[in-house]
Amino acid sequence: MQKERRRNSSRVRTLVFAGLFLLSMVLFTGMVFAGSSVDEGRKICTTRKLGNCVSCHYLPDVESPGNVGPNLVESMKNYTPEDRAIVRQWIVDARKFNPETIMPPFGANKILNQKQIDAIVDYLYSLKKGGK
Amino acid sequence: MYKNLFKIAVCLAVILSPLMAVHDVWAGGDSASIQEYEQGCTYEEYEKTYLEFYGNSTNEMAEEGNPAELMLDDGKDLYNTVDGSKGKSCASCHGENGEKLVGVAVKYPKYDPAIKGINTVALQINRCRENQMGAKPLKYESYDQLALTLYVKSLSNGMKINVSIDGPARKFYEKGKKFYYTRMGQWNFNCAICHVKYSCKRVRTNLLSPNRRHGDHWPSYRLKWGKTGSMQRRFRGCMKNMRAKPLPYQSEEYRNLELYLTYQSNGLPLEVPGMRM
Ligand code: HEC
Ligand code: HEC
Repeated sequence: MQKERRRNSSRVRTLVFAGLFLLSMVLFTGMVFAGSSVDEGRKICTTRKLGNCVSCHYLPDVESPGNVGPNLVESMKNYTPEDRAIVRQWIVDARKFNPETIMPPFGANKILNQKQIDAIVDYLYSLKKGGK
Repeated sequence: MYKNLFKIAVCLAVILSPLMAVHDVWAGGDSASIQEYEQGCTYEEYEKTYLEFYGNSTNEMAEEGNPAELMLDDGKDLYNTVDGSKGKSCASCHGENGEKLVGVAVKYPKYDPAIKGINTVALQINRCRENQMGAKPLKYESYDQLALTLYVKSLSNGMKINVSIDGPARKFYEKGKKFYYTRMGQWNFNCAICHVKYSCKRVRTNLLSPNRRHGDHWPSYRLKWGKTGSMQRRFRGCMKNMRAKPLPYQSEEYRNLELYLTYQSNGLPLEVPGMRM
């Protein structure tokens, strides 16, 4: 009986260790890939089936961007790191700033998810340093 | 238990909300509250921008001939072909070579008391077939239906478009306008934002055209389709691009919309078949 319990508790311990190990692996890979959210944001902005921001906005190194909206490299010059929430709000739902906007409400209408929108904001801020 | 009910209610609301958005459009009528946009550019400015952006290739192609001309010839044959239980052709009523239909198409779409709504050339062809010829209606957007529409409209080529929105037509024109300005689909666009406010702007490689000449050239051959199609096919295409659910051909909404847009082309000569990228 006692032996049994001890064996169980050691099994639990192994499981906990295995769990922690896996968790740290996940966190580690997460950290490694965190840098690539800029790449992901760029991809979302330039892919037709995702954000397709280039259909309306100038973005660097993209063939034939649209000109319905402002040049986002120029726009980003006006935003400081403290303005992250504002930039994010433009993407979540631009109607907050302009009820008659043509810009689709990417967050409010669930065209993109929160993670994708964060990646876009990371990408837009990278444009301040010459982009990627 | 209540939690589940709540979940069901939320699910239903989510599923039904797009339907309700469309219903809003149907409910339309009064467009007095619509704030019209200022035109992004005139048609003349558009033509200049078009040449700068795309070059002369579309004109060159048009000179080589419009593939829809073949369809037009077939339409003429169909016009003279007897069909249906009453042993008649279109020519039996409207004269050889369409004599009595010359100048008719420039007044379409128009209000028709018999259907208490807007009648289009395509719809009228099917009404003639059913009621006068005892023939089956032609499927909208089928080759024969487009060919007949094309032939009937070509009989008015060069004449000025002269669509009336007086009297009972007014109400349907207003509905069409309301549709044109109603936000729809996941992208939350409306027709006017692209074809009025941002006309002459570029959405990637597409130059947005102002709507002045949206009503003067249908049916048209379109390179992207590799086919000839109707104005209403284009409505469906733009609605799909907006991620909104396209409506059926000759639905009440599309006939009202066709009236609204054709009216924007009033005074211009009718020129079918058109040709577009
Ligand atoms: C259909 C056109 C369209 C699309 C697609 C679009 N935008 Fe916009 N955007 C605009 C317009 C037009 C404005 C200018 C403000 C206005 O008119 O509402 C704007 C404004 C902005 C602004 C504020 C710029 C400033 O000068 O402060 C940001 C940031 C922005 N857009 C980012 C994006 C991102 C990121 C995407 C894609 C996920 C996107 N936009 C997709 C049309 C568009
Ligand atoms: C996001 C932009 C956008 C929206 C919204 C939009 N369109 Fe279009 N539309 C286009 C583009 C791009 C074309 C192809 C280039 C052109 O002729 O403008 C086009 C073409 C057309 C044409 C053909 C024009 C011609 O001369 O052959 C018609 C008609 C038309 N649209 C009607 C509509 C209607 C009706 C709606 C709303 C139900 C609508 N559009 C919504 C972008 C849009």
